[in-house]
Amino acid sequence: MVLQESISTAIDSIRANLLRSLLTTIAIVIGTASVIAMVGIGSSAQRAIDDSITNLSARTLSVYPSRGRGSQKISAAPLSISDADALIKDQEINWRVSPEIRGSKSLKYKNESISISVIGARESYLSIQGYEIDQGAFFTERDDLARKRVAIIGSSVGTELKTSSKALVGEEVDLGGVTFKIIGVAKSEGSSGWSNPDEQIYIPLLTASDRVFGRDRVDSIRVEVPNTYTPEEAMISIERVLRREHDIGPGEENNFRINDWSQFTDLQKQATAIFSALLIGIAGISLMVGGIGVMNIMLVSVTERTREIGLRKALGATHQAILLQFIIEAVTLCIIGGIIGVIFGSSLYFLVTVFQDWVFTIPFSAILGSVIFSACVGLFFGIWPARKAAQLEPAVALRYE
Amino acid sequence: MNVIQVKDLTKHYSLGTQTVEALRGVSFGIEQGEFIAIMGPSGSGKSTLMNIIGCLDSPTDGTYHLNNQEVSTLEGDELAGIRNKEIGFVFQNFHLLARNSALDNVMLPLKYAGVDKEGQLKRAKNALSQVGLESRMDHQPSELSGGQQQRVAIARALVNNPSILFADEPTGNLDSQTGHDVMQLFHNLHQQGQTIILITHENEVAAEAQRTIFIKDGLIESDIRKEKL
Repeated sequence: MVLQESISTAIDSIRANLLRSLLTTIAIVIGTASVIAMVGIGSSAQRAIDDSITNLSARTLSVYPSRGRGSQKISAAPLSISDADALIKDQEINWRVSPEIRGSKSLKYKNESISISVIGARESYLSIQGYEIDQGAFFTERDDLARKRVAIIGSSVGTELKTSSKALVGEEVDLGGVTFKIIGVAKSEGSSGWSNPDEQIYIPLLTASDRVFGRDRVDSIRVEVPNTYTPEEAMISIERVLRREHDIGPGEENNFRINDWSQFTDLQKQATAIFSALLIGIAGISLMVGGIGVMNIMLVSVTERTREIGLRKALGATHQAILLQFIIEAVTLCIIGGIIGVIFGSSLYFLVTVFQDWVFTIPFSAILGSVIFSACVGLFFGIWPARKAAQLEPAVALRYE
Repeated sequence: MNVIQVKDLTKHYSLGTQTVEALRGVSFGIEQGEFIAIMGPSGSGKSTLMNIIGCLDSPTDGTYHLNNQEVSTLEGDELAGIRNKEIGFVFQNFHLLARNSALDNVMLPLKYAGVDKEGQLKRAKNALSQVGLESRMDHQPSELSGGQQQRVAIARALVNNPSILFADEPTGNLDSQTGHDVMQLFHNLHQQGQTIILITHENEVAAEAQRTIFIKDGLIESDIRKEKL
């Protein structure tokens, strides 16, 4: 019997038990829908991450003093303001350099006192960090050189001092025993995980070094590299300058380390990929479960239709014709489930892209792949019931009650 | 020439440790164009004999020639091919596919015979008109009366021009008038030269045939030819 006949017979018998057939395919639907949704969402998320990286005009590297690690004795030479100045003087790459001194001090205003994270920085800090000023102004290079006692506060510092940040502009506060004048408030940035810029206070680098912390050792130096250079090229340049500054001889190890924060986006991409792979694995299990469901219902169907099988055999159906009929029925059932799953999965994916403002691209290969996989599930789990049907003895099957 | 020639047919079934001898050596011949009834009480081996002659089952021993071809040694798909081409079945409970039209039901043996679509339609319509149902060919079995359903089944049995029309209690599920109509149809087909084997336990039905074979305890008890009137 020709394939077309088998397919129309299969569709007929699926239609005859429509509700049961649809319920049977639910696991296949869920499996396929998750594959389509995950692959789609995954690729759109990936693209969003990629776009955000290429949209950056520059990438930021951070230099930290090295901590001696393991048995290797590395003299933990601190980074100093002069290291930062040496980087600024180096003309090979037109980078921007922002040294930072960080520490914790108590901040007093009237009768209120809080502990606050202090950042001593250059005037370029604001733009390198991408922060903005809400009220007042950031300090200038002259304020820095003059070691002025001026400060900018994060947007929620005022509330912690039982007043508002705006009301503090122009007021004098006591920071670790030194009187500072608040000259501006930074716009709220929100917590970035391990630090909250809204709860910090920013003062000029040299003021921090000379008047507050009494050290010229800096905690980190940020280097913003234009996109015309790769992070690797920038790292080599930074290394060259700092090794010279720190008098590190050939063959000796660096006593500082350079972090490329964009590596985190790579990690994020990897995490996304692992996450999608995991979900696709679960979807695969769901498809397997679906296949077992289909097998189960096919076995029921074979038993129910024993007399029909007997009749078909009496009329001359060969072993192969019956086998084909039931395999095609199982495969058709799974493909229908797969197609419904594709529709659900694509809709879900579309909704997510709308809400996340991502690009929606029809995941053709995932659609093709998951429908083919559903068909294979049907083929695999349809074989046993179909063999049972084909092996029925016609004389016995005809009289089956 | 004999369409069917069986010799010393035996059939043993094993039920657990017991062996049941359903047929214990049956021999007879059926000529081309004969109208014959096979009778016997239940448990007589009548059904077993029917399955073997209908090529639904193979004998344990003995020979069975159908159109001079030895078929007792065939199995599986070879037997399916014989059933498809040589034997037309009519069953007590019609055995029509419920979700298919009368036409589709009649076309089914042709599909398994590999006839092309055009030939299927032509021959199925032809067979339906032979039983007087060409006007109802698009109806599903549920839209047909019992007698009409049985006539669709007869059309299906005839569609491949079989050597033997094999009817198993064809009037068992019909009222006496409709049963009579169906028997009339068999007589018409017989007059056109069709070989017909009727399996029945009703004497009145058997009386319609020219010849009656009685089976009892796995053996032929009697083989009676009616004198031509």
